[in-house]
Amino acid sequence: MTAGRLWLGPLLILAVVGLAVVPIYANGYYLALGISMLNYVVLATAWALFSGPTRYISLATAAFFGIGAYTMAVLSEAIPVAAVIVVAAAVGVAVALVVGLATLRLRGVFFVIFTFGLAELIRQIVTWYEVKITKTVGRYIFLDIGQEQIYWQLLALAVLVFVVGWLIGRSRLGLAMRVIGDDETVARHVAIDTTRAKLILFAVSAAFMSVAGAVMAPRWTYIDSAIAFNPMISFQVVIMALLGGAGKLYGPLLGVIPLVLLFEVINANFPNHFAIVLGVVFIVIVYFLPGGVAGLYDRWRAGSIRLPVVATRDSAAPGSATLELVGLRKAFGGLVAVDDLDLRAAPGEIVGLIGPNGSGKTTALNLISGALKPDSGDILFKGRPITGLPANRIARLGVARTFQIVRVLEHLSCLENIVAGLAFRPQPLWGDAARRRGRELLDRVGLAERADVPAGDLTYIDQKRLELARALALDPELLLLDEWLAGLNPSELVIGIELIQSLRDEGLTIVMVEHVMDAIRTLCDRCVVMNAGARIADGPPSAVLAEPDVIAAYLGGADA
Amino acid sequence: MMKTLTSTLAAATAAAMLLGGAAAAQDKIKIGYAVSKTGPNAPGAGITTIPNYQLWIHDINEAGGIKLGDAVVPIEVIEYDDQSNTEELVRAVERLVNQDEVDILLTPWGTGMNLAVGPTFNKYGYPQMAATAATDRAYEMGERWPNSFWMLGTSTMGANSLAEVLTTLKGEGKINDKVAMVSVADAFGIELAAASRPALEAAGFDLALDETYPITTQDFSQIINAARDSGADTFVAFSYPPDTFGLTGAAIAGAYNPAVFYTAVGTAFPIYKDNLFHDNVDGVIGIGGVDIDDPKFQDYRQRHVAVTGQEPDRWASPITYASLEVLQQAIERVGKIDREAIIKEIQTGTFDTVAGEIKLDRNVNANVWWAGQWQDGDFHGLAPASMKGAVKPVAPKPAWKPADK
Amino acid sequence: MIVVDIIVAGLILGGLYATVALGLTLQYGVARIMNLAYGEFIVAAAFGAWWLFTANAISPLAGLVVIVPLAFLANWLIYHLLLMPLVRRARSREVLEGDSILFTFGLLFVMQGVMLSLFGGQLYSYSYLLVPIDVIGTTVSANRLIAFAFAIVIGLGLYLVLTRTRAGTAMRAVAVDPRSARLVGIDVPRMSALAFALGGALCAAAGVLISMFLTFSASGGVLFTMKALIVVIMGGVGSLLGTLVAGLLLGLAEVATARLIDPGLTLAVNFAIFLAVLLVRPTGLFGRPSS
Repeated sequence: MTAGRLWLGPLLILAVVGLAVVPIYANGYYLALGISMLNYVVLATAWALFSGPTRYISLATAAFFGIGAYTMAVLSEAIPVAAVIVVAAAVGVAVALVVGLATLRLRGVFFVIFTFGLAELIRQIVTWYEVKITKTVGRYIFLDIGQEQIYWQLLALAVLVFVVGWLIGRSRLGLAMRVIGDDETVARHVAIDTTRAKLILFAVSAAFMSVAGAVMAPRWTYIDSAIAFNPMISFQVVIMALLGGAGKLYGPLLGVIPLVLLFEVINANFPNHFAIVLGVVFIVIVYFLPGGVAGLYDRWRAGSIRLPVVATRDSAAPGSATLELVGLRKAFGGLVAVDDLDLRAAPGEIVGLIGPNGSGKTTALNLISGALKPDSGDILFKGRPITGLPANRIARLGVARTFQIVRVLEHLSCLENIVAGLAFRPQPLWGDAARRRGRELLDRVGLAERADVPAGDLTYIDQKRLELARALALDPELLLLDEWLAGLNPSELVIGIELIQSLRDEGLTIVMVEHVMDAIRTLCDRCVVMNAGARIADGPPSAVLAEPDVIAAYLGGADA
Repeated sequence: MMKTLTSTLAAATAAAMLLGGAAAAQDKIKIGYAVSKTGPNAPGAGITTIPNYQLWIHDINEAGGIKLGDAVVPIEVIEYDDQSNTEELVRAVERLVNQDEVDILLTPWGTGMNLAVGPTFNKYGYPQMAATAATDRAYEMGERWPNSFWMLGTSTMGANSLAEVLTTLKGEGKINDKVAMVSVADAFGIELAAASRPALEAAGFDLALDETYPITTQDFSQIINAARDSGADTFVAFSYPPDTFGLTGAAIAGAYNPAVFYTAVGTAFPIYKDNLFHDNVDGVIGIGGVDIDDPKFQDYRQRHVAVTGQEPDRWASPITYASLEVLQQAIERVGKIDREAIIKEIQTGTFDTVAGEIKLDRNVNANVWWAGQWQDGDFHGLAPASMKGAVKPVAPKPAWKPADK
Repeated sequence: MIVVDIIVAGLILGGLYATVALGLTLQYGVARIMNLAYGEFIVAAAFGAWWLFTANAISPLAGLVVIVPLAFLANWLIYHLLLMPLVRRARSREVLEGDSILFTFGLLFVMQGVMLSLFGGQLYSYSYLLVPIDVIGTTVSANRLIAFAFAIVIGLGLYLVLTRTRAGTAMRAVAVDPRSARLVGIDVPRMSALAFALGGALCAAAGVLISMFLTFSASGGVLFTMKALIVVIMGGVGSLLGTLVAGLLLGLAEVATARLIDPGLTLAVNFAIFLAVLLVRPTGLFGRPSS
């Protein structure tokens, strides 16, 4: 891989130079074919910049492309072309930011259709504006720009997309996007500001699409909303990117080239049955090429990240309790999951949170970590209120957690899982420093051997270990463990208990939801017992577990 | 990436080779076109452009070919589907010129599509017979691209013709001076509406309603209600075929009976009468028109039905065929494939066609029917009244009869 | 008067939108097949109705009896022969959704191509029962009214099937949670096939009904797919009631905009409402909030 890099650079430069001289030799048709290809390379790669890692299927490509094309149509006679392109990018970014802020919390098909609706809305508004205000729908662009210039502009744009994509892939932003794509909840709990990360990439992607529209527009002389906002553009881009494999920077390229050629060959040979042949080819592709072209090389790739950042961490200020919950309440519809809960955890203390199933323990943890917002009550971390803060902010303050149902980033390697925890904390680690620290943490939970294995391939128990290591990567002061010991066999349990003890010895405060009573007795300084959302007991484990209320709650819970 | 380029070129070359080798000079004439066989433009192309290309090619093959001097040279036809996509279209035309090396290019369907390939036709010097493009900038385009010919005239001509018809009817006391006008929010509808505002005002009409609706609208009941409430005797819709059918249906369903009911594209389509509105079409005014009694048109109509299995529409169909006749006659007069000379001939010559005699004025065909009316079961040309075979407009339109067939 | 106009016309148009979307609710909500060829099935059914009417003088309403069962069978076969391999292969819902999008995108072109070669690119339309009918003081065309009535009957029938029959209950269970459905002994693939076929049948019924008053062409299916998608998503995936409410809301909004504001803004308003609904309720009007 490293050896490959040495010749890869010059080769790429050579390739770009080779592509740049094409217009000198190629006739108009090959140039037109090249333009189509480059246009789709730019659009599909830009699309995959955002949609690849996040797995948000966006159908807004036509909207941004159209915005660029219209910007060119409106401004081409007023200002120089270069300025128009800058304006087009700016408008694209502005629209993407506004839209992104509103929409990026949608997921799955809702996001897909929303973006489609958005493109149509923009098209309708542009049409209406032109009809009512300018009283003409079509716009003419008479610029003295030949095919060659358009080709070169697109080539430059394509190179830029790849460079930007490559830089993003190496940056913390790139890792953040991949974490988000794997598990957005985890992303927030390793202190990633998911909204900001998605917004930045959405805007970058939109800028490229808008510029592509602006570059292409002079080619058609005439622009109206049906041409500029043609929804087929969005669909073709999605299809090409998915076919190539949107997970990798070069993936879309592998989809664009064969598909553009395929369309061309089919159209040349079956002009009257284009649709049928295209459809059949498509269906065949779905059956025999799952995961896209790039999927074929999947095993080839191993993620590597390097950027020099070194950092240390200062210790917590003494004084108040590490965690204090006051009158915390959360209801889901009519069900009160957490009801007026008070809890205190002093620095270096291990507090057990126990109670029958459904008593609200996990909800309480979710409220502390910011996964849920309380209806009322206060959460104080080191004496400062953190009530209602987003999960990523709370994580940055020094609260880390594991999940009841384990959430590792399945598509990332174990080491990358840890690096995700190191990279977004207040004193981030990156590059070699992060990898070194990551291996230490893996070693600590007994996963040193498995650093480069995808987390999805680990056993359930190992995934739990990995999750703990990722939580520790945040260098937290408060650790929330949600049934972390559940499912371990007796010898593993001994190791697990020792591990938690060693964490406490380092000064970590721990709140643990647990059913394994041996562990509670061994580890906890104090226990809080919950039933039906409320606290029914608080004290040393041995005393608390003997209380009649507690016994009744457990028996009642067992009956239900 | 270098490898990619090579394989790209190789594949494209292979694709091109499949089409056959280079043309040998004058033992055949290669004719090529790209038109929307699929996508949103397919209905328009399917009604007007494709059948007339088929008919023309059929007619030439019947005759053995095109006359070049003393020889009759057979033709070879190459066609592509532009998928209603401007970029596909531009590329297909580049392919026709560079790879297939066609002698003559036929034009795509629609205003936007013809404008999109304008620079390409111009760059390679091919005559462009735009038969399905109506733009007010036709003269400007003809000047910019002297090889382009705008056979369907300009929107202003259309607006003036409509105003001419309405003025006649107002002069006869058949209608009041109010007009309810709606238009589809697309280049065609908006240009016609924009041209009609001054034209109607100059003719002393008042726009009691002036609205647009988006393309693909599916419910027209409210537009019809608003038109009824406006108190106008004249309803004018610059509409596309689906809307023309929808508006007429909504008018019948709403028992809306203005003295003048005008809808644009689609009114002159055969299915407007045969499949949809039957006897109710009588009195409806629409865009287009023909000189029904012209034996040349009747002959054309019969051949069109015999070869393509469908009736020609009464607006752009004969114009499309006529533009091909102009092209063919110009080629035959020049006697060889000398595109520069052919363009010159089209610019200056006079041609005898199914749409009457055609003589272009600064690359624009001004002799086009812009208003016609269903009378006695056929669609007759009304205006410009100066056209041969123009009939007088009839108003008020008979009330709709509920059609429950 | 204007209010009555708007409400009657809005309900009828909204009913049309809901009818067009009902089938997709089942296909996507239960069977998890994001069917991009949905509109092509509608157009195919419209062509069927057109052919029965013009060549055989069979009224479209009688045509329903022929076309709807045929469509059920065709969709059942498509699911079993073509989609089943993808369903078996899929490791997760997301993978199946992705594969089904790509597959039905191909199917869309195949169907469009077949219809193009059979019928050409022209517009098709016929008139059936184009008679004004007076409904509380406003006139409506009989064919639209009948389509509306049929839509209500079909929608009600579907509702009863889903709530009162074992198969219907099983389908709803699959829609809510396929994994748990399997745990309680529901044959999920069979129910999915049934839902897909039933959705296809409803889609064909919609195609027949709209052919009575809308113009259609071989390449016009995408429009219906998009309309149906918007309605389904706005209502909340898998929710029958949501689909109905969303359809009616869009219909009323479109008519009211055309009458009171500007007919040029109808589609803009519709899309704006759709976007606004998703912003307030990210999983649609009646969608279950995602965990």
